[in-house]
Amino acid sequence: MNDKGQIQFLTHIPAVPPRAMILARLGYRKHATVFDLDQRQKLDKGIREGLLLCETRGAFGRFKVVERNETEVCLAPDVTFTSRSLARLLSYSDEVILMAATVGPAIVERIAQEVTHGDAALGVILDAVASETADAGLDWLMDFINKMLRKEGKKLTEQRFSPGYGDLPLANQRLIYDLLKLERLGLKLTEKCMLIPEKSVLAIAGVEGVEIYE
Amino acid sequence: MRYMNKKEFLQLVKEKILVLDGAFGTELTKRGMPAGVCPEQWVLEHPMAIVELQREYQKAGSAAVYTCTFGANRLKLGEYGLQDRVVDMNRRLAELSRQALGPAGLVIGDLSSTGRFVQPFGDLPFEEAVEVFKEQVRGLLAGGVDLFVIETMMDIQEARAALLAVKESCDLPVIVTMTFNEDGRTLTGTDPVTALITLQSLGADAVGCNCSTGPEKMAEFIAAMKPYAKVPLVAKPNAGLPRLVDGKTVFDLPPEEFGRYVRPLIEQGVGIIGGCCGTSPVYIQTIVQNIRGMRPPVIGGPEIGALTSARKTVFLGFDQPLTIVGERINPTGKKQLQAELREGRFSEVRRFAVEQAEQGAAVLDVNVGMPGIDEQATMVKAVELLSQLVEAPLCIDSSTPEVIEAALRIYPGRALLNSISAERHKLERLLPVAARYGAMFILLPLSDAGVPATAEERCRLVGEVFARAQAFGYQKWDIIVDGLVMTVSADQKAAMETLKVIEWCSRELGCGTIIGLSNVSFGLPERSWINGAFLAMAVDRGLTMAIANPAGEMIMDLKAALDVLTQKDPNSQGYIHRFSQVKEERANQEKAAPGKTVEQRIYDAVLKGDREIIRDLLETALQEGAEAGAIVDEVLIPAINEVGRRFDRKEYYLPQLIQSAETMKSAFTFLEPKLVNANNGGGKDKARVKVVLATVKGDIHDIGKNIVALMLRNYNFEVHDLGKDVPAQDIIDKAKETGAQIIGLSALMTTTMAEMKEVIRQAKAEGLDCKFMIGGAVVNQQYAEEIGADGYAPDAYGAVKLAKRLAGQAAE
Repeated sequence: MNDKGQIQFLTHIPAVPPRAMILARLGYRKHATVFDLDQRQKLDKGIREGLLLCETRGAFGRFKVVERNETEVCLAPDVTFTSRSLARLLSYSDEVILMAATVGPAIVERIAQEVTHGDAALGVILDAVASETADAGLDWLMDFINKMLRKEGKKLTEQRFSPGYGDLPLANQRLIYDLLKLERLGLKLTEKCMLIPEKSVLAIAGVEGVEIYE
Repeated sequence: MRYMNKKEFLQLVKEKILVLDGAFGTELTKRGMPAGVCPEQWVLEHPMAIVELQREYQKAGSAAVYTCTFGANRLKLGEYGLQDRVVDMNRRLAELSRQALGPAGLVIGDLSSTGRFVQPFGDLPFEEAVEVFKEQVRGLLAGGVDLFVIETMMDIQEARAALLAVKESCDLPVIVTMTFNEDGRTLTGTDPVTALITLQSLGADAVGCNCSTGPEKMAEFIAAMKPYAKVPLVAKPNAGLPRLVDGKTVFDLPPEEFGRYVRPLIEQGVGIIGGCCGTSPVYIQTIVQNIRGMRPPVIGGPEIGALTSARKTVFLGFDQPLTIVGERINPTGKKQLQAELREGRFSEVRRFAVEQAEQGAAVLDVNVGMPGIDEQATMVKAVELLSQLVEAPLCIDSSTPEVIEAALRIYPGRALLNSISAERHKLERLLPVAARYGAMFILLPLSDAGVPATAEERCRLVGEVFARAQAFGYQKWDIIVDGLVMTVSADQKAAMETLKVIEWCSRELGCGTIIGLSNVSFGLPERSWINGAFLAMAVDRGLTMAIANPAGEMIMDLKAALDVLTQKDPNSQGYIHRFSQVKEERANQEKAAPGKTVEQRIYDAVLKGDREIIRDLLETALQEGAEAGAIVDEVLIPAINEVGRRFDRKEYYLPQLIQSAETMKSAFTFLEPKLVNANNGGGKDKARVKVVLATVKGDIHDIGKNIVALMLRNYNFEVHDLGKDVPAQDIIDKAKETGAQIIGLSALMTTTMAEMKEVIRQAKAEGLDCKFMIGGAVVNQQYAEEIGADGYAPDAYGAVKLAKRLAGQAAE
């Protein structure tokens, strides 16, 4: 990992999403939703199958912040993120990590097949597993990068920021996609800045110093 | 120029604790090296800086120093445009170290990470990594290094690549040190014991850890390694943990405090010691003072049998539980797996691997041999996949030596080779291969003459192969003898001959044994009884491993019991765990529900989403005289309305809602002809409300919209689903063509939600008289109102309720 444009591609990320997050995405509420044994077995089978279909991969790169003000974070003359929230998150960061995680096309194809022509209930379980696994992929990447940074007395900001949230427009996916050369990860970006396969996520986090008490 | 051979190195570390150097980076910075430069280039431009530093280390007590070539590989130098100067720079830097130390000191050629992650974890091809390191090795050898170190490795696979590069370039001793984080694992998840076993098997002459943690934590890693170490152990800790002060990385453990941890490190088993980041010649002096009078730890220990993956060690031995080797990754008799392998797909391999690991297989056999495929390429892909997917070590199973070698070379652990026999060509070809990669192997006691009928002859062959293996450094616990299980249906004496081989290997030779369990019962009915009985008899003779299908509950239950009875399951914990998982009663399963009418059972089937029984129940109801329309109005609709209420109250989650809706759909499909024929109401005599659904132009997400379509159909709407990325005009045209009362629009992203507004604007401009409903992650009721839509639905059931309202249907 360095600031010389070197991108790390990880061909297998052992991301395991929290079960509670999968259930929450499916509308399960701990003290309200009632399962019988059949339902639980179906859910367990769906989650297991979903995890088998996820082929989680990722990429990340480290970039210097060359300029920053209250609303903009600039990594290069033609790479500027315009977002007050992001600029605030990166207040103490002279560098940022751009990262991407995807669960691959197999599970996306299977979800479409189940929802339209198969077992739609299984389809939505697979959908929840895929979404949560992609997020878990980014969680895993942040942990991984933190361990690398720790050797330098540095760490990532606790939060990460993804295009499409808050005041960081989705169009910024193009900047991250290009900088990380995500076509090498098998991803495509549509005209409207959507990622294919769709269960793919991008994010930005800042690099900060480790405080004395940490 | 002089080189040190492995024997001399071993002798040296047996006689005294070998003191290494400390940090370079921080010390060179003190000597004027600016931030951001290539350290190797700067040192060549300022040679006296490194010469003086290394002399200071020597004066402080370092008997050996590393060359300043930490990042002098093609990939790292490439960051500075110096990729074509690798050999020259390494040679010159090694010569500088020799100049600094003179003939008395040991110059250790330093290799470290390329900064890229190697396959299968990363994208740098393994062979490319090996070549990158070989190039550096050539320069260091030309510069006259005495031995090598591979240091600060965060990934076991990259460490393996570097180790193979040195081994394939020269015969000098090699030290390998990994960097473990506070959690006791390398960045890519390898624990200290697993790293030790993998690396010492592959030929490292000393193994240990450097960097990352301070000395206190490092002592724990060394203590974990020591019982299994056949080679000297190395520690080169940081001066504490780093933190950032005024933009600079600093370490907070002063020399005297660092020194307090030196003696415990030696007592835990370290024979080679130095300092890493943040240390200096003063720290080395402290080490020397603290080891005064201490003897180096004894090198080596009891023989152990151990297999590793990148993240786990599985120990084999008479004191270990019976090891089950999962046999299912083998295309023989598995049509789907065969078809997938032919197409280059691996989903069945993934499934078999995960299932077997869950079912209790500690090791996974991998065999992809079948006609019509490139076995070598397929095996390599399978091994790359499995080495990341599961923690269980792999057993590489092929009859082709080239396939075995390709797999062993790229496997990031210590594999079990299945198998080497006394057949001359196999023995001569495979023994060196197994030894080169440090693999354990299954010894098959058969020769060019075939399978010996008697145990005596098989044991003779075992002795013969073992003697040959010893010449390659193999010890008894590096081999596992296959007892050669023959089927008892052909020859009942065969089982006893196998048991005699197991007994002899266990009690006379003292090595592990394995059987392919199911062979014994081939051709007989109720095979599990024969398999089970044979397993128990074999374990009694000392069997340590069995190749079996872990999905067989009887075999796995028996294994749990046998582990208890042979005292290999302390406190019966494994056994208790296996059988304490109470099999829950299927209390709610209602195959027959005495006392309930068929209408009540139809109602329950919709509530439970039981599609399998709904048609039978409907048939029964009709036979009993119920009218189709009445069933719809009085049973099905109240049932699905109750499902909706439960979903609203969160008593049901989404899959339950969908299952019930699908059951409803099955019921409608079944009843529809009868409703039409009888024209008897039940809602079917009413014209269905038409809905056009689409994900708007530019948006490719349609799972949510598809679920809405499904739900609307199940609630008897006539749905025309146009799919995703649909232009406004197509939506409008379809609505006109069908006379749709409702248009449902979906968009998931902020970049596409604006297209909804365009569809509504255009539709209204064309005078289309219909209602608009919208949904998707980034829209809400406020946005619906803003763009002139008639409503927003937060989820699939919400869409049904909204569509009903928009169509003027009564609310539930």
